[in-house]
Amino acid sequence: MRAWLQAFWARLRVLLRPPRTLKVTRTGRTYLVVTFGVGLGALNTGNNLLYLVLGLLLSMVVVSGVLSERCLRHLRIRRLGIESAFAGEPFAFRWALTRRQGHAFALTVAEADAPLTGEGRVGFLREGVEHVVRADLTAPSRGPLRLSGVRVTTTWPLGLFAKTRVFELEGTLLVYPRRGYACQLPGDSRQGHFGDASTPRRNDGTGDVAGLRELGPTEDARRVHWRKSAAMGKLLKVEREREERRTYVLTVDGGLSGDALERRCEEVAAISHELLETGNEVGLETLGEQLRPAGGPTQERRILRALAWVGFEALREKQKEQEEAA
Amino acid sequence: MSAPSRLRLLLRDLSAGAAFGAMAVSGQLPAWTLALFGLAWVCALLGWRPFASRTVTAVLLLGAAGVLGFFAARGFLDPVVASCSFAGLLAAHRMLSIPDVRTDGQVLLTSLLMVAGGAALSGDMLFAVFLVAFCVCASMAMALAVVEATVPEGEPLPVRAVVRPLSVGLSFAVLAAAAFFLLFPRLSWNMAPRRTSPGLGATTGLSETVRLGGTGTLKSNPRVVLRAHLTPDPRAEQLGAYWLAHTYDTFDGQEWTSIGTSRRRRTQVTLRPGGERSVHQRIELLPAYGAQTLVALETPTRMGNAVAHGEGGSRRTSLVLLGGGEVRFTENALAYSYEATSLPPDEDASTQLTEPEQGQLLALPDRLDPRVAELAAQVLGGEKEPLAAARKLSAWLQSEYEYTLELGGEVDDPLADFLFVRKAGHCEHFATALTIMLRTQGISTRLASGFFGGERSNEDYILRAGDAHAWTHVLVPGRGFVTLDATPPANRSSQSMAALQLLTGLYEALESSWRSSVIEFSLRDQLAVAERLVRPPRDPGRSSARLPPARIWGVALLAGLLTYALWRVLSRRLSEPRPHSATRLVDTVERLLREAGVRPREGEALEELTARLVREQHSLAEPLAPLTRRYLEARFGQRPLAPGEADRLLTPLRSYLEARRAAASSARPRHTSS
Repeated sequence: MRAWLQAFWARLRVLLRPPRTLKVTRTGRTYLVVTFGVGLGALNTGNNLLYLVLGLLLSMVVVSGVLSERCLRHLRIRRLGIESAFAGEPFAFRWALTRRQGHAFALTVAEADAPLTGEGRVGFLREGVEHVVRADLTAPSRGPLRLSGVRVTTTWPLGLFAKTRVFELEGTLLVYPRRGYACQLPGDSRQGHFGDASTPRRNDGTGDVAGLRELGPTEDARRVHWRKSAAMGKLLKVEREREERRTYVLTVDGGLSGDALERRCEEVAAISHELLETGNEVGLETLGEQLRPAGGPTQERRILRALAWVGFEALREKQKEQEEAA
Repeated sequence: MSAPSRLRLLLRDLSAGAAFGAMAVSGQLPAWTLALFGLAWVCALLGWRPFASRTVTAVLLLGAAGVLGFFAARGFLDPVVASCSFAGLLAAHRMLSIPDVRTDGQVLLTSLLMVAGGAALSGDMLFAVFLVAFCVCASMAMALAVVEATVPEGEPLPVRAVVRPLSVGLSFAVLAAAAFFLLFPRLSWNMAPRRTSPGLGATTGLSETVRLGGTGTLKSNPRVVLRAHLTPDPRAEQLGAYWLAHTYDTFDGQEWTSIGTSRRRRTQVTLRPGGERSVHQRIELLPAYGAQTLVALETPTRMGNAVAHGEGGSRRTSLVLLGGGEVRFTENALAYSYEATSLPPDEDASTQLTEPEQGQLLALPDRLDPRVAELAAQVLGGEKEPLAAARKLSAWLQSEYEYTLELGGEVDDPLADFLFVRKAGHCEHFATALTIMLRTQGISTRLASGFFGGERSNEDYILRAGDAHAWTHVLVPGRGFVTLDATPPANRSSQSMAALQLLTGLYEALESSWRSSVIEFSLRDQLAVAERLVRPPRDPGRSSARLPPARIWGVALLAGLLTYALWRVLSRRLSEPRPHSATRLVDTVERLLREAGVRPREGEALEELTARLVREQHSLAEPLAPLTRRYLEARFGQRPLAPGEADRLLTPLRSYLEARRAAASSARPRHTSS
């Protein structure tokens, strides 16, 4: 019911939105106050020169409106892809702007009706040339974010008013869980033959020696190089190829919701990142999706994407249906 | 600092300068504020901004504000003038500060306030020039600031691209402002009206006294102060007449004054009886006149129908007669117009004088140098007839003394200094010498001041500030006062340059239009404009109820439809995308090849055809290869074709094809004949 109401409210807002919105800037407020003062002076004294100045001030307001309107017309905009968007940290977002007729100046581009902060700026948009605008946006929370349109604002020509036009452009931005440190240890790894593992002796420590590094917490003390450790005065571990390459399957319980779910998703993302960085294979089990263990950055991207959809399974199904129908 | 920023700051500072100029033309700002702002402005234009420490410089600014406030509180300075001066100093302070967004906004805001202050202080036409300059510079500075804020650092600022739409917008703004000015109803609450100022216009400053000494810079001032339409029209290019403003009968050794008391106000003043040969004058005193004394051709008989022209429009004003025959307006205004009648100089009627006034015509200063009377007696040689004596003395002064505008300044006895020491002076010295020397011989005289000259301008005569003059009235029994001028004839009228006079004439014409259409524009004028729009002036021979015949309506409709159709066709044709010059070239090549029977394969482009011909070592490849290469460069390589280059490129191909065609045609007859 609540989701339906939210969707209805969003649709109503789009329907009731005026074609252009106008906001007076700080300079504009001062300008209007001075114009009002000059108008009062002209009315009080009947001074024709004050009437002339007043006429000029008012006509500049009109000119400002006309020129800014011309700036926002004949504009075409599309979204370009993004690498990855993590909640709570800036990510690069790009739009491509084209203007069919005439130049445009001082444009500010942002996503409309979306909880994204940040905006891109274009000083000068030439006629007929596609201009890619980059912005550092920040999403407050994880999950799929519905994008309904792009808001283009200009303060051209005098910086007195900020005129805004929203271009209807549907899209979805998938925001990954917030990046952080893993506070919990991963569960026990799975041993032996599993999945696509290529060797049955995966934890034997018999690969070629890759180097020495300090022994970390929870690491196996049997891999300590005692002679070198005695020489250096600290515990050093022998690193080998395929050293301790374990397989983990992380889970997000289906009963979680709200902050607990968010925390768990962030934790799983952090653990999987750490495990994958150290060469392990990681799988994921959530309510709506199961990922088989694998390694590498692609697997990390799959895990993050799966985590982003946790809690939004119904929406995902709906989107899949729409995509299939299309 | 980047070049665009420098340009923006330059425009910002220029706009501040223009705004200050809009105030300064009023001539009311204290000189020290002019000097301070000028210094700051020059420093800012040179890019020297020493006011990094805001606290210290703010204290200085506060001090200046205190001085202005003190002057305003003590009544030495008008509060509006003090406010405007402070706005100027504030702008100067901000201009010299480290530039940032906030400072830029403050400079432009104070500039806007200065423009408004200038409108309140001045009615001069130069205000319009400064207003337009301010609009252009400030708009450009603001637009560049807006674009600069969104252009990433390191990228060039599109200055030229900004100028075009902005200039169109500014032109529209000026037109819209004119429409607003014309149509917005003139309402005035009049809660705190201010006295208007003629700005740089006031030049003559006729006063109640004439003080000898000083320099004669007024004589070289070419500004037009009076315009008169005379009936009957003398039709002379140079009128060479005396225009009387004031007469003086009392000389104390330093300055001339007149006795007599002011009389009650009236709309018309009669000075003496008129005559059939009176000259009627419709006179306009321009803002450059700067005084309230009426002027008329000598000898004035009647003055009246006076209208004062000010900021609030035109209104009738009354006159008052003062001592010395001076007639004044009772209201202060920018300009005046009135009517006057005068008798021709040779028909001067006896002026009605009271007993004390008659006695005063022989009065001498208490400490008059005795050598003056001795000199007069010596020159006259016993001549007692007033007119003959005056002419003799006048001729002697003109021959023995030199005219000069450069005098040494204040002296104890200017008359003795003129007669016995310097032996050079200007019109007031000559007139004073003649008047006093005649009085020493018992001849009644008085000093007259006003203007001498009259320069034809269309149907009217104009007088310049440099035409200001002084002369002598000699009382001749039975004839009244007769005008005698001791100043050498060549030095009586304006001494300014001809070119300067021409330029000044143009300026005065513009200023006259400015005053009539802007400064004095009133609700009455608006109503007249509206009436003309709603009900155009009727043709007396035609009734308004009679509409044009139906065929006229039909023709008008047809013309309208044709115009609309033409406009649609033209706009469609103009909006069609024009083919690229390289595309036209390739179209021509394909046409030529088609005519010559060379047909490319299905889907084969020109470059592919050329490549094939080269591979096949075809003779057509030689003229076609450079053409194809150049086409590809022009179409995709951003090297457009130069004018006429396409024809040059096509020439070898045409020659080749013609030669081939000729060879084919010569081969065909042989084949047929065989």
